[in-house]
Amino acid sequence: MINLNNVSLVFQGGSVALSNITTSINEGEFVYLVGHSGSGKSSFLKLLYKEYISTKGEIEVAGLNVVELPKWKTPLLRRNLGIVTQEPQLLENRNTYENISFALEVMGIKAEEIESKTNTLLDLVELNENAFKFPNQLSGGEQTRVSIARAIANNPLILLCDEPTGNLDPDLSVQIVSLLEKINRAGTTVVMATHDSSIVNRRKKRVIELSNGKIVRDDEQGRYILR
Amino acid sequence: MNKFSYVVKNTILNMRRTPLLVFATIIAVLVSSFLVFTTLSARSIVQNNTLRWQNGTHVVVFLDDRVTTTAHKQLQESLESYSEVRTVDYFTKAEAEDEFRALFKDQPDLLSEVDYEKLPSSLRVNLNNPSDYELIIERMDGNPAVKEIRTSGEAIERLLSLTDTLVVSASAFALLVGFAAFILIINTLRLAAYSKKKEIKIMRLVGASSTYIRLPFIFEAIFESLIGTSIAVGLGWGIIEYSKNSIVAESIFDITISDSYLIYLTLVLLLSSIVFGLFASFVGIRKVLND
Ligand SMILES: Nc1ncnc2c1ncn2[C@@H]1O[C@H](COP(=O)(O)OP(=O)(O)OP(=O)(O)O)[C@@H](O)[C@H]1O
Ligand SMILES: [Mg+2]
Repeated sequence: MINLNNVSLVFQGGSVALSNITTSINEGEFVYLVGHSGSGKSSFLKLLYKEYISTKGEIEVAGLNVVELPKWKTPLLRRNLGIVTQEPQLLENRNTYENISFALEVMGIKAEEIESKTNTLLDLVELNENAFKFPNQLSGGEQTRVSIARAIANNPLILLCDEPTGNLDPDLSVQIVSLLEKINRAGTTVVMATHDSSIVNRRKKRVIELSNGKIVRDDEQGRYILR
Repeated sequence: MNKFSYVVKNTILNMRRTPLLVFATIIAVLVSSFLVFTTLSARSIVQNNTLRWQNGTHVVVFLDDRVTTTAHKQLQESLESYSEVRTVDYFTKAEAEDEFRALFKDQPDLLSEVDYEKLPSSLRVNLNNPSDYELIIERMDGNPAVKEIRTSGEAIERLLSLTDTLVVSASAFALLVGFAAFILIINTLRLAAYSKKKEIKIMRLVGASSTYIRLPFIFEAIFESLIGTSIAVGLGWGIIEYSKNSIVAESIFDITISDSYLIYLTLVLLLSSIVFGLFASFVGIRKVLND
């Protein structure tokens, strides 16, 4: 599902975000991407959805050659992906319901379908009661759930989450992780970046650890696949 | 909701966010298109009039009543021998009377007062090049058979150079206002794009195509440009229709302009406005919506 071969990312000015990354993630896996701040977790994820372009190496995501993919075909890649960015990207002038349905709207889905789909998503992330609240009326955990719901609205093959538990207390973090596991059980491959080692240690999933842009730990592939 | 209605909805939402700018843009396009439409129409009308004049009489040599038939024959022959002259027609006193009656048939008072005996016979000269009228005057000057010489050359020449000046200056203005419209569209779009920055970012993350993200902006530019031009062309047609039946048309000028030319002009303008909108939107959102 995701293959990286000898991938490096060097920014203009010479700062090296990732160097010689080689790994692969299978369909249906749940992978934690861990590492200290600045270790390259966000950069790793951004390479996968072509927000950054690698300086070197080969990247394959959902059967697409990401490096060679022309820029205008980036949307094609992203339609296979659900993306939850590190900073929550919610539209302040839209309520929970509208923030979620936005993803369906821009993909040109029919109105009735949008309604039923959005309601299903609200159920899944348990935000029915907050459907008509605006982002500034939601807690951090609730906001994260809105962006997760939006990310999976179009049934992506892969869900990429960048620190979804970033500023949450342990209880809420567990709640989010449980949600992601639920999504993973439904068949979506999940890659979650986090620096929260307590979660990682408790959940018994595959871990890829980055340090200074290099992989320092990569659990045996598929070891924690749930069947 | 299908894709098209999403685009249309967003086009309208964008425009409702900056109504004054949209209004100003439409006005600018309107003025520019109107200038182009009216000057080109006016030029065509003048051309139609001068074209008829090209084939008509350029110099009228009125003959003295005492002139004999042989004398006027000689005069006619010498006129015809000039290389500048294409044709010379002899107009008798009777023909002059007929013409006068035809010209002023609406004014019976005038017709009844005129002493037709006083209308002179004349030689009507058509030149190869209408601006050579002065040569004819020079050559006829002092000839005892000639009573008076009249030419229409000077007036027409002045009219032509006036229309040329008009076309040049109006085009310059149209260009200037058109440029203002261009800047206005670019700014309107940039403003809209900046205010939707986050929305566009999310659309990208979700996998909306870049064309799809751009379409509302492109539609907006084309819409504003097309509306402005349509109103301008509508106004132009109205004015031409009105002036066809006005006093101006009856006294000085024939307001003749072919419908096919007007339709051609209209289509060219509408098409140009679409291209203009496309181009302006391309420039306007090129940087903002890049990648
Ligand atoms: N756009 C950029 N331009 C230049 N350098 C960058 C850019 N983005 C990231 N970097 C650098 O690349 C390195 C990795 O950054 P990255 O954001 O991937 O780390 P991270 O592991 O996500 O950190 P955090 O846990 O704080 O989010 C850092 O040294 C960072 O300064
Ligand atoms: Mg990060």
